Order: sequence, then C-alpha cells, then structure tokens
Amino acid sequence: MIRYRKVYKAFDYPVLAGVDMEVESGEMFALFGPSGTGKSVLLKTTIGLVVPDRGDVELAGISVFYGEDGDLARVRRKVGYVFQHAALFDSLNVFDNVCTGIPEDQLGREGDRECARRVWRALELVNLEPRQVLSKIPSELSGGMQKRVGIARAIVGRPEVLLWDEPTTGLDPVNTAAVERLIKRLSMELEVTSLLVTHDVEGGLEIGDRVAMLDEGTLRFCGTPEEFRSSTDPKVRAFHDRAAAEAALDQLTE
Amino acid sequence: MNILSAWFAKVGEVARVAFRHAGELGKLTWAVIMATVRLRVPRKELLTQVYNTGISSIPVVLVTGSLAGIVTSQQGGYQFQGAVPLYVLGSVVVQTVILEMGPVLTAIVLVGRVGARHTAELGTMVVSEQIDAYHSLGRDPVALLAAPRVIAGVLTMPLLVGLANIIGVVAGMVAAYVDVGLGFESFLYGARLFWHNWDLFYSFSKAVVFGTAIPLISVHMGFQTRGGAEGVGRTTTQAVMFMTLTILILDALFPPLLLN
Repeated sequence: MIRYRKVYKAFDYPVLAGVDMEVESGEMFALFGPSGTGKSVLLKTTIGLVVPDRGDVELAGISVFYGEDGDLARVRRKVGYVFQHAALFDSLNVFDNVCTGIPEDQLGREGDRECARRVWRALELVNLEPRQVLSKIPSELSGGMQKRVGIARAIVGRPEVLLWDEPTTGLDPVNTAAVERLIKRLSMELEVTSLLVTHDVEGGLEIGDRVAMLDEGTLRFCGTPEEFRSSTDPKVRAFHDRAAAEAALDQLTE
Repeated sequence: MNILSAWFAKVGEVARVAFRHAGELGKLTWAVIMATVRLRVPRKELLTQVYNTGISSIPVVLVTGSLAGIVTSQQGGYQFQGAVPLYVLGSVVVQTVILEMGPVLTAIVLVGRVGARHTAELGTMVVSEQIDAYHSLGRDPVALLAAPRVIAGVLTMPLLVGLANIIGVVAGMVAAYVDVGLGFESFLYGARLFWHNWDLFYSFSKAVVFGTAIPLISVHMGFQTRGGAEGVGRTTTQAVMFMTLTILILDALFPPLLLN
C-alpha cells in the first residue's frame, strides 16, 4: 500500500539516509525512533509535504514524486493526515475545520445537508458531542479535544490511509490511552491502512500489527511487536526496556 | 585575499537570497493570477480581507492624510511668506498631497497595519502546520489565503489613497487659512493654476502598484517563515523592512516613468 524507496533527506544534517519500508494494505504500522531521526519527515514525504533529496514514495501504486500531473492530488485524496499538534485552522470553528476535510468535488456534489451529516458522524466517531463543539473555535477547546477534532477532519474525507504524526504527544496518560484506543478502533471500523509515528512505544506495541524503528536515518528494526520485545539489538531494547535504556545512557556518558 | 573572498561570498549569498525571493514572488504572483482567473477565491474570505485592509484602515489613513496636508501647508506657508505669492501654496499642497504624500503615506501605513499582520498570520499558520494541513487536505493555500489578501489590497488601496488625498487637501487648506491667513478661494485659485488631470491618474497608479506590492510581499514572507515564534517575529520584521524599501524604490521609479 505504501512503499518508501531509498528515501534520502538532509536539512543542515542528514535526516533520512536511504529508508526502505513497506506498509501493507489494511495494516496498523507503528514507527518508533529517537527524537530527530526523521520519523515525521518520513511521514510527510508520504503526501509530498516534504520532498526527499533522492528516492520515492508509492501509495496504492501511484508515485508521489515521479508521477504525472495530478498524481499528488490523487494521493492526497486517499490519505487522512493527523498532525502532531492538531494543526486546526485558528479562524474557523469546529464545523468548518472538519468540513475542510471533505474533498471539494464531494462538497459540491453532496450538498450542505449531507456534508453536515458527515461532519456530525466524524465527530461522533472520535467521541465528541457535536452539539457541544460544532460552533467553537479551536482556542476554546482542550488539547485532547483539539486532537480529536484533528482526527475527525482527517477521517471525514473517507481516506484509505491514515497517517498519524505523534497523536498522543502532550496528552496526559488517560487521554493518551483514550486516543490510542480511538486509533485502533478507527483503523478497524474504517478499514484503513494506518501508519503511526509515536514516542509511546508501549502504546505502539499494543495497537500495531507491525512495528519499525528508525535510527540514524535508516530502518534499524522492522517486525511484529513480539519480535520487537524479544529483540537483542541493544538500541531496540533501550527503547522498550528501562534497564537497557539506562545501560545505553551510561555507555554514551562514558 | 581571505577578506576579498569572504566579501565575494557575502555578495554571492545576498544575490542568491535576492534571486530566490524574486523567483518565489514571481511564482506566487502567477499562482494568485491563476486562482483569480479560475474563480477559486472564496468570497467570504475576500470580503473579510477587504474589511481588514480597507474599512479598518480608514481612521488611521484619515489621520495621516490630514496631518500630511497640515504639515505641507505649514512648511510651505513658512517658506513662501514674503517671497512667493501665497496662493501658490494651494498648488504646492494639492500637488504634494496627491502626487506624493497621499499614496506613499497610505502605503507606509498599510505596511505596518496590514502587511505586518499578513506576514505574522501566515507565518504562524506555517509554523503551526496549518498550511501543511491545507496541502494535506488537497486545498490550495494560495487560492484560500493569498489571493483574497492581494485582491483586497488592489481594490481598497485606490479608495484609501483617494480618501487620504481629499482629507489631506482639505486639512492643508484649513491649515493655510489658520497659519498664514490664506483664504479658501485663493488656495483653490492657486491649486487650479497648476492642476493637471494626469496627476490624479498618477496618484491612483501608485495606489494600485503599492496595493499589489504590499500584500504580495507580506504573503510571500509569511509563507517563507520557518522556526517557531522567533521565526515569525524575524520574518515579520524583515517583511516590514522589505515592503517599506520596495514602496520607496517603486515611488522613485514613478516620476521618470509617468511624469516626464
């Protein structure tokens, strides 16, 4: 479904150094990695928000960077993107924010009533009470609610793929668990392919069908959550085992 | 040798940045034109921007316009007394306000009031990933955000300059009466003596050009913002400087192009 082919990207320093990765159709794929290893950058290459220096990404067989005119727009229509800090439009209320997620041609075709119904349904799917939030602007919502509205905006367009960029960052443990459950439930109910970038390793291992770890610009690990847990690679172990993390830190300090 | 190569490197870097900005501005201008021609500009946002750029700016434009007229009149009155017939003051005030002070001061006011706001707004949208969100949803930020601001600038700037011109001339006339005792009829006689209809066209041409340049530059700089709150502050400062310089340079190009 999503194929990353030798993706290279450098800003002032190399971030991605030839990432090869595949996410299968219908799969819930979690991607871990230390801060600054390019997880979000890789996610953004999927819909062309970041252009790699070399390499390509294919989504449903369509090349994101070497396709024909209109291919990028086709790719974007298949994808719902959940941003790290929700990225809601400040000046629009919740209804208009979520409504922006409906592709323009569908907006024209389906009419106002059907669009309103879709917005309503999307908000219900993310456990928000539409009546209470529809007319509010983002600054009137809590962080957790903003994230949910961001998720509603991503799913209202009926995407085939959902990309989650650290959706639990900045949330308390209860909200983190709630959002993780929501991710799992939505991925199953909507039958979408999900690629989740997260720092919350336990959450990712819990909900992911497969997981991968990005380190120093390349894929260090790719496998099932069980394989991840039993991995003997010290860097992988340091990511889910406190004692191994302490040992790795000691080694670094020495 | 090292100093020389460092100097060349610096010049090269400045030239590279200038060309990059010029290229990006060209692309933005083309994208705004295409969005406008294809009628992809949302009416609601356009009306909001017309209000923000035009209607909200009226009070400050009236104040600066009238002050420009008053100051010109006071300066002229002081210099002409005892040397030049005072009715010439009417011509000096009208010509100065319409040819120069009205358009330029209104543009400078708009740089601070509207241009800085556009850059800060769009810059914040960039660093908070709202622009990326538009792209991810298949929406065109140029059509939704840039084009309404540019069209609003082009439409409202001539109206604001017109207002500034009228209030500037009236205030100058009153100041001439209060300051040097020049009657309204003598003031208007002097004004008519050297009047050319072309001057009005010249004034509104400046208004259209400045009204296009300010939103284009401010929007462009907003889209170029990188690096969080500090980046927004830095880009907004650069945008204000860039817009002010552009207005003054364009202003200097007008006389050889349209007055000679």
